Amino acid sequence: MRCHGLTVHGSNHRGFCVPTVSPVFLRPTRPVTRISFPKATLKNEGLVMELSFYELLGIPESGSLMEIKNAYKQLARKYHPDVSPPGRVEEYTKRFIQVQEAYETLSDPSRRAMYDHDMAKGINFAFNARRRRNYHDQHMKSALVLSLLRAGIINTNLIYSVIKAVGFEKVVEQKSEWKSRWQSQLSELKRRSSSKEGGGNMSWAARMRQQRDELANES
Amino acid sequence: MGEPAYIVTSDSETTGEEKSSTFSEIAIGIDIGTSQCSVAMWSGSGVELLKNTGNQKTMKSFVTFKGNTPSGGVSSQLSYEDEMLSGASIFNMKRLIGRVDTDPVVQACKNLPFLVQTLDIGVRPFIAALGNNVWRSTTPEEVLAIFLVELRAMIEAQLKRRIRNVVLTVPVSFSRFQLTRIERSCAMAGLHVLRLMPEPTAVALLYAQQQQQSSHDNMGSGMEKIALIFNMGAGYCDVAVTATAGGVSQIKALAGSTIGGEDLLQNMMRHLLPESENLFRNHGVSEIKRMGLLRVATQDAIHQLSSLNSVRVDVDLGDDMKICKTVNREEFEEVNRKVFEKCESLIIQCLKEAKVEVEDLNDVIIVGGCSYIPRVKSLVANVCRRNEFYKGMHPLEAAVCGAAVEGAVASGINDPLGNLDLLTIQATPLAIGIRADGNKFVPVIPKDTAIPARKELVFTTVHDNQTEALIIVYEGEGEKAEENHLLGYFKIMGIPAAPKGIPEINVCMDINAANVLRVLAGVVMPGSRKPAVPVMEVRMPSVDDGHGWCAEALNRSYGATLDLVTLRKIAL
Repeated sequence: MRCHGLTVHGSNHRGFCVPTVSPVFLRPTRPVTRISFPKATLKNEGLVMELSFYELLGIPESGSLMEIKNAYKQLARKYHPDVSPPGRVEEYTKRFIQVQEAYETLSDPSRRAMYDHDMAKGINFAFNARRRRNYHDQHMKSALVLSLLRAGIINTNLIYSVIKAVGFEKVVEQKSEWKSRWQSQLSELKRRSSSKEGGGNMSWAARMRQQRDELANES
Repeated sequence: MGEPAYIVTSDSETTGEEKSSTFSEIAIGIDIGTSQCSVAMWSGSGVELLKNTGNQKTMKSFVTFKGNTPSGGVSSQLSYEDEMLSGASIFNMKRLIGRVDTDPVVQACKNLPFLVQTLDIGVRPFIAALGNNVWRSTTPEEVLAIFLVELRAMIEAQLKRRIRNVVLTVPVSFSRFQLTRIERSCAMAGLHVLRLMPEPTAVALLYAQQQQQSSHDNMGSGMEKIALIFNMGAGYCDVAVTATAGGVSQIKALAGSTIGGEDLLQNMMRHLLPESENLFRNHGVSEIKRMGLLRVATQDAIHQLSSLNSVRVDVDLGDDMKICKTVNREEFEEVNRKVFEKCESLIIQCLKEAKVEVEDLNDVIIVGGCSYIPRVKSLVANVCRRNEFYKGMHPLEAAVCGAAVEGAVASGINDPLGNLDLLTIQATPLAIGIRADGNKFVPVIPKDTAIPARKELVFTTVHDNQTEALIIVYEGEGEKAEENHLLGYFKIMGIPAAPKGIPEINVCMDINAANVLRVLAGVVMPGSRKPAVPVMEVRMPSVDDGHGWCAEALNRSYGATLDLVTLRKIAL
């Protein structure tokens, strides 16, 4: 059940093409399979996977924090099960959880910066609860592997054998230190620019705290 | 259509016509406090508090077992203070409900002037009321149900119609198991719970309504307003941070603890009579009377200390036991220093979890019976760096009014003036997770997650060829599993033989719109797309009253043989 006919007001499709990147894994040398839990429960698959968080909220990618908050509250009024029409509670509950996810990511300047960064790189970062959970942990590693992939050093078919055969893990670990330093500078810049637009009214203490949180997440 | 074979009593009253009846624009909110209780109703255009035959808006929460019919504080003509001296009255149900006898809160209840007996092994405490020299046993659920039946009779007499659906307020720190006990009491009283609302979130909803009304008046832009709500009653202290805009109240964080006026009272009693606990241990008739006398005198003193700087306590406990002491406010504050410190830490914790700075707060709302205590006011003011609190809410009525508003919203009542264009986005007050990584509590749904929610986490085996895994579900904030509330457990069987760390045990937790928690677990072997065994789906909480006992037994019997660890390396 796909929701192509969805009207998220104000959504701007910018022809943003999402290439299918086969999932990459560092260490576990294998993919983790998603289980489709029984229908009685929520199912993420095939809902609005192709919408970006911005599209979900129906705001432009340059949207300010204020716009994000307003869009979230408006959509909550629409999809929250307390106010949704009786026959559509289950469907709207799914939508609500997605909107919530989008809001949580985009309303946090550092997470938004990383999301934007990944989107610019063409990784499909639509709704996926588990992905987000490991977002911080996995982000640096994946960025590195992706850049290696793009540089043609390794390809997707080879990646597992490369990791195993040449002890790639160690190389990755050494490199990732340098990489993460660079990365943190980048995300800091992104964060700054986005907080200038959106979170400009944050207090000094709030900014400091966020910076500290970010560091904690990266280490 | 034939007649149904039989009718289940509790469901027979509601046949769906109630909603479409002409009276459907009435919604009921009930706030059963540890010491006081009130009922509010949404009727047409606004909230109104109901009064009992004694013209009281707030009624004492207690039930007296005398003769054949127990009577509660709703209808009782006798004063609460007198009833208490005989051992026939049971109160503080909210502190006892859904707790096991190893719980320190239950242990502290042993100082109350009725019987609370514990075996200290993690089973339900035995409670009893004294009548005609007989200890008659009862349960907290039963006492609460008796009280609710009285409330219901009072409401129905006034509205001249049957009621069934109610919204109840509950403390933030209640576990899901405790919530099921409240639901059970309501069912025993023939009431259907529309929502169980953490108390400060009910206040938050009322705040959202007031904000929306005032923004209508000023043609405001619907700016987001952040408020901190501090609620301290006799039994519990709760804090919430809410972000409100356009009638939507988004609960950013919740914090709560079992501290309240009851602790202040017990600390003060100990201060006045250091040996009090030992003296009352035997629960004889005269001891109960003494305990009651001391309690009443101490309570009076605390009330007076809210306006006076010092107060004289003069009470004759009989048997040449007399207390004649002057206590001042500083003493009271010093005796209860730890309680007040805990209040402060709850506020700080809640702000931190909400990622809100003190200077970002638009309003600070302080409600509950303890909000009259000067020290409580000053500590909230200090932490929030504020000279003034939000005005426009009655400290004892805000929660119950919010509950009535939620009842109106949840039952789909339409208000032409837009006063019900409201929504609360609730958050989980406690994290929910499983025991893994040794004896750790690993949250799957973190604290302060918006409801409805669905989250999952992947675990793996700790032994080679481990074919079974025990999923023990807990709720709480503790790092170690046993520091949290046990919600239930089940076993996954038939995990294909494999070296440790290979099978993936996917644990998913789902809280739906009705706040029902389901735990799902499936096993996947690498390279396969399908679960190796059928997925388990368990509705929680599934434990019964002996859950403290049960958690210990599980640990003893299984130790680490059926353990799991988190599988950190997950696909990006």
